[in-house]
Amino acid sequence: MNGPAIWNAARSCLVAALTAAVLCTVPASASAQVYIGQDIPRGGNVEISGGVVWMPGYDLGTASAEETRNPGTGTGPFVLFQTDSRTESAVGVQGKLGVYLSRSVSVEGGALFSRPELSTRLTGDAESAPELTATETLTRLVVDGSVLFHLTGVTFGGGRGIPFLSAGAGYLRDLHEKNEVAETGHELHFGGGFHYWFGQGKHRAGVRADVGVSRRSGGADAIDTTRTIPSVAGSFAYLF
Amino acid sequence: MRRLLAIGLAVAMAATCQVPAFAYLKLGTRVGTRTVTLKWSQLPIRYFITDRGTAGVTSTQLQQAVQAAFATWDGATTAQVSSQFVGFVQNNPTSGDGATTIGFQNRPDLDRTLGATSFMIDTVSGAIVESDIFFNTAFPWSVSAQGETGFFDLQSIAVHEIGHLHGLAHSAMGETELRAGGRRVLAAEAVMFPVAFASGTTLGRTLKADDLAGIGDIYPSTSYTRGTGSISGKVTKSGKGVLGAHVVAFDLRSHALVGGFTLSDDGAFVIAGLTPGPHVLRVEPLDDGDIESFFDATLNIDINFRPQFYEKTVVVPEGGGTSGVELKVVAK
Repeated sequence: MNGPAIWNAARSCLVAALTAAVLCTVPASASAQVYIGQDIPRGGNVEISGGVVWMPGYDLGTASAEETRNPGTGTGPFVLFQTDSRTESAVGVQGKLGVYLSRSVSVEGGALFSRPELSTRLTGDAESAPELTATETLTRLVVDGSVLFHLTGVTFGGGRGIPFLSAGAGYLRDLHEKNEVAETGHELHFGGGFHYWFGQGKHRAGVRADVGVSRRSGGADAIDTTRTIPSVAGSFAYLF
Repeated sequence: MRRLLAIGLAVAMAATCQVPAFAYLKLGTRVGTRTVTLKWSQLPIRYFITDRGTAGVTSTQLQQAVQAAFATWDGATTAQVSSQFVGFVQNNPTSGDGATTIGFQNRPDLDRTLGATSFMIDTVSGAIVESDIFFNTAFPWSVSAQGETGFFDLQSIAVHEIGHLHGLAHSAMGETELRAGGRRVLAAEAVMFPVAFASGTTLGRTLKADDLAGIGDIYPSTSYTRGTGSISGKVTKSGKGVLGAHVVAFDLRSHALVGGFTLSDDGAFVIAGLTPGPHVLRVEPLDDGDIESFFDATLNIDINFRPQFYEKTVVVPEGGGTSGVELKVVAK
């Protein structure tokens, strides 16, 4: 027997053994679990998704407009007024394009667009100027890349639901109101979520949910330090 | 041939008369039909020291204090200015002799004036050709590094007067309070505030953001031109411009305070020398002090409005400006 013939025979035996093993271990009532295995997205699949993202507001810190006090008129700096700044909660839209490298790993790139409001509460004026909240609406774009680890061992919904963990980094670009000034920054993010696929073909639709946190520096609302921003997202997804 | 004009006692620093508010202001002069900023066209500024001391301060100590004060301004990264001590002279610091001279003079008649600066200007170009500063020996002076109780710090007052010598007018970046017998300054955030701190302190030796913006506006360095921006707009009341309103910009990142005044009847203002980024704006009237410390007495300065903030955050671009801000104030 020559080499290729030996290989073909061995492969036939191996396939038969694996098939027998599956038939022996899968209960008859679990026919729906045909999704497990080859119907889990696999290497080479492409996923496109789009949806909405909600980000809660976050504090940017307080500050005092201070003047140097004349010695003998009190202690500490003279506070002219105080500020308390925050970025208000915002809803954005996002789109992502991903490629599965294997059943467990995919990479994706995406963009998130939102228009958060930057507000600064002005209080405690030394000459009793009325308190006021100064505002500005930012136009924010985050372009990012992520690696997703699909937890194929803990699927749910009859195999339609597949959790994942994700981590990545992004570029942040904020355009201030009137579009006169742009400020950039970067972010690191990690989180998790799940896909829930409908259908079983190569082309199939699904939904996707993400939760995560983004550690950002730079950008228009970088008033004091870096900040950590949580987010929740829901998307429609299509796999092909 | 240049025609020269003397401006006597253009600015002074009173001990007890003060005005609250904020902002730098530049000195200007009329040349023909236009107003030009007073500034030196030739650098370094060459100056002489009157070879005469006063109680507790020798002429050499005077020269050292003045040199340190010049160095403070020369070191401002926002500006390109320089100075050179030429030598001691016997002349008093008086205008018209062609030499920029700094020294002590006994002026008991000026009982609220610690020092004053005068100018000789070229009426064709508006350039400063001579400027003289005197320190009033009617007051006690000190050159102690830590300050001396009961004595005014000569270097601090020299920093203020040399700011004038460069072309800066008074800043209103400070606060005062009414007390029996007059006002007293509570705080200031500019060495160009017209009222001195109490005797015994050396706090006036250090330039503040408002001073740095002001000197950069007159003698801009490359970093000033490229690295800072401006906010411009107008202050209105019932649809009409407000003259002499005082607008301050507070940098939400650096916490610097820099200001400007409305200088025309339409209420227009420009605040330059701001670090890029988000700012909040506040406007107030010059309503409780000596308006003549800032403006010509013939101007109709409007002080009948309430202090207030601007409802928008204003972002300053690097090397550019944000315009179109309108602060609408209401009468008291």
